[in-house]
Amino acid sequence: MDEQDLISRSKSGDVEAFNLLVEQYQRMVYNLALRMLGNAEAAEDASQDTFISAYKAIGKFRGGSFKSWVLRIAANSCHDKLRVARRYRVVSLDTLLLEPDELHQANNNESPEDYALRRELGRFLSEGLTHLPEDQRLVVILSDVQGLSYEEVAQATGSSLGTVKSRLNRGRTRLRDFLLQREELLPSKFRLNK
Amino acid sequence: MFRGKGKPLCRKVRGMLSEYVDNRLESENKSLVERHLEICEACSKELESLRMTVQLLDRVAEVPAPRSFTVTVPQPRRESAFGPASMRWLRPATAIVAVALVVLLMGDFLHGFENNVRSNSGPGNMTFSAVQSIPSSAAEQQTWVAVPGVMGEMSLATAKAVGYTDYTIVRSSPVSQPPAQPILTVLGNEGPTGAQVIVQGGAGVGWPLRQTEIGLGAAVFVLLGLMIYARRQRRKKVGAR
Repeated sequence: MDEQDLISRSKSGDVEAFNLLVEQYQRMVYNLALRMLGNAEAAEDASQDTFISAYKAIGKFRGGSFKSWVLRIAANSCHDKLRVARRYRVVSLDTLLLEPDELHQANNNESPEDYALRRELGRFLSEGLTHLPEDQRLVVILSDVQGLSYEEVAQATGSSLGTVKSRLNRGRTRLRDFLLQREELLPSKFRLNK
Repeated sequence: MFRGKGKPLCRKVRGMLSEYVDNRLESENKSLVERHLEICEACSKELESLRMTVQLLDRVAEVPAPRSFTVTVPQPRRESAFGPASMRWLRPATAIVAVALVVLLMGDFLHGFENNVRSNSGPGNMTFSAVQSIPSSAAEQQTWVAVPGVMGEMSLATAKAVGYTDYTIVRSSPVSQPPAQPILTVLGNEGPTGAQVIVQGGAGVGWPLRQTEIGLGAAVFVLLGLMIYARRQRRKKVGAR
């Protein structure tokens, strides 16, 4: 059954059809939330909120890219979580930055040294991402981590193409500066100024 | 790190490097950037560091979802008798019953006050008022009198109809109809003008009113109890979530 059929059935209240869409996109949504919030538990909450909101609003989906539509809801869920964290002065989600264990599972063809390097790099990048302003962080994650095209990022963020390009440029530059400032902490293999 | 440095052309080129890395520049701008990079070492370094950053981001591993985020639609629960819907009618019902009770009590109070004013004007008037408020036929038909010079007994109503004013009450039986009427017992006569009637027992015309007031009062208590119970139930449910 193709995506359009699943969407049509979901619109008529078929929760099983909707859950097939959830299974298709939950990994992508969770990874976006994880990189945006930097906290596994908060990312789970945001992901669940995303799909509940999507199910409630599926009737309003007017076609186009379902992936971008879901990612937009996910981005809004993440913004809500960050806003609440700021408002109630709970410990900032950014400071709870943790690399989930799943990320550090060694691949079968990966040496222990490579695994350690990848883990160190992942920690650096996650920390660097959380230092970006939210709008730039979102665009960098969608484009460079999740591999969306400029057009898909524009749809997912509800921004113009020019805004996406501008935020991406500033976000990448800022992240690059962050990594350069801590270059001595980076594994030599990944240093920017070789 | 590299920002703010260089000539205006460097700043313009650096603004396009991100798109250049993604190969999204139009041919005109692309050739402009490439020509500049050939002669500007700083911008070339900037390009390389930016390209490296993008490559590093590409290496960020994608994490599997820790659990399924599928949606379950809860079955519609039967509305509890004391759920939010019941609260919708409990409040206005209590308010209406309470207002009705207050209105009745106020009316009763004012009526009683009026009677008190009358009774304060003298005992004779009070008796008169009581007699006036009683339909005579029922009481008088149940009251038997003996008239001097007349054999046997007759009802007080008959005696009055004939025009006897001098009579002695022999006996009287309780007035059963209508039930709202007071039970009268004529204890004796006084003077030629009529009997002094003393009302004994019975709630008088106010009895149905009393019943209504008691009923409304009880209803208010019951409704208030239900409201408190419903509120507690709702708090329990919210706490359990």
